Amino acid sequence: MGDPLKLRLKELIIRTLKLEGVQAGDLRDDAPLFGSGLDLDSIDALELVVSLEKEYGIKIASSEESRQALASIDHLAEFIRTRAAKERVGS
Amino acid sequence: MSLSPENPPVAIDAADCRTGLGDAAATWRGLLADRCALTLLPVLGPDGGDAVPLALLAGRTMAETAPPNWLAHLDSLAAAIPSEPWGMPGFPVYVTSSNFGVGSLYAFHRSQDVSHLPHATPAAAVEVLRRRFGWGENVTIFSHACVSAHLGLIAAARALAHGTAERALVFSFDFISPFVAGGFHALKILNGGMPAPYADRPVGSIGLGDGAAFAVLRRGRGEFGLAAHSLHNEMQHFTANDPAGAGFAACLTPVLAAAAGRRVWIKGHGTGTLDSGRLEAEAFGRLQPKSPLVSWKGSLGHTLEAVRGGQTPGTTGSSGPCFGATVAIPAFANGAYDGVVLASNAFGGAHAACLLTHD
Repeated sequence: MGDPLKLRLKELIIRTLKLEGVQAGDLRDDAPLFGSGLDLDSIDALELVVSLEKEYGIKIASSEESRQALASIDHLAEFIRTRAAKERVGS
Repeated sequence: MSLSPENPPVAIDAADCRTGLGDAAATWRGLLADRCALTLLPVLGPDGGDAVPLALLAGRTMAETAPPNWLAHLDSLAAAIPSEPWGMPGFPVYVTSSNFGVGSLYAFHRSQDVSHLPHATPAAAVEVLRRRFGWGENVTIFSHACVSAHLGLIAAARALAHGTAERALVFSFDFISPFVAGGFHALKILNGGMPAPYADRPVGSIGLGDGAAFAVLRRGRGEFGLAAHSLHNEMQHFTANDPAGAGFAACLTPVLAAAAGRRVWIKGHGTGTLDSGRLEAEAFGRLQPKSPLVSWKGSLGHTLEAVRGGQTPGTTGSSGPCFGATVAIPAFANGAYDGVVLASNAFGGAHAACLLTHD
């Protein structure tokens, strides 16, 4: 059974970036989100970051952190889990 | 595009600026003392938000007033411009800005208050300035992000070199607004860190500052000359440079050729993203390994002061280690140099550089 967070992230990416004809199952967990077949650019990254911050109540601090988080679905899920855990501890 | 050295010489007759550290002389003295104008302020001004490095002119806030509160600062600068029939035939004015009055446009968008509109577009904002300062209709507007002022200088120098102007005025300004700061913050390249130009570190941040400047150019020789110029656009990507730094090299090469036989130091851009700072420092170090490279914002006014004063400020905000081997962190005496290369780069892969000479 798949990771529900990763599935939600794929759906958010498809919805936010209006990726026509792309299904969640088409996105591999370990494939690069940028520089791969999705043909995403830095404006897409900006839209994704804004959506992620709203959806998950997290803060992405810098473009370097954004680049690491958006490396793949695996990286993004790990980033959100780690960040959410830290913010729960801090709250 | 480059202006070759065989064209008639172009001299800088006058220049001054306003930055967070004061006028050109005060800015040079402040930089020499390693003062940084940036402080951590709310990114959206009165609306708050994360604290990011911003440098406002003394007494200015980011509140979107109508008329905008930056006009008074331009009045102060314009009062220092030598008197000529600016904007009349033979005396063109080149007004450059990255953002003109976009803050007023955003204020109108939010409030529907039409009193913001007279300053809300480049053409409208410049028309306000033209009437305010008594300029004629011979006014040209340039905007290309961080190379805007360079474009104005190059256009003025070309008009003089080609005989279509007797003297030319370049007038440049940018004032931070919540719209602009918020945009850079959304891209995460303006964040809670302080800028450290060319520093080899894992996370970078740009800083944004208010700034305004003018330069008066004429044909002929003078204390300072603009001897060569170069423009280049990589056409690579909207927000990314060629990963090998080819754009930096392509722009700088013709200016360095024109500087052959001179000893030059380089005032680079440096205050862009971590990646562009790295590419710039590495490319310039490869091309000109004996020329120290420094970065502080602004291209001309306090550079002239640095040459007159014999001391070049170091790269304020950085402490090393740095990308490239030529970055000068501390200030240095510049008496042994007879030229300065001024380089800048911008969103969209744009590059500009010019050679400032002093004999």
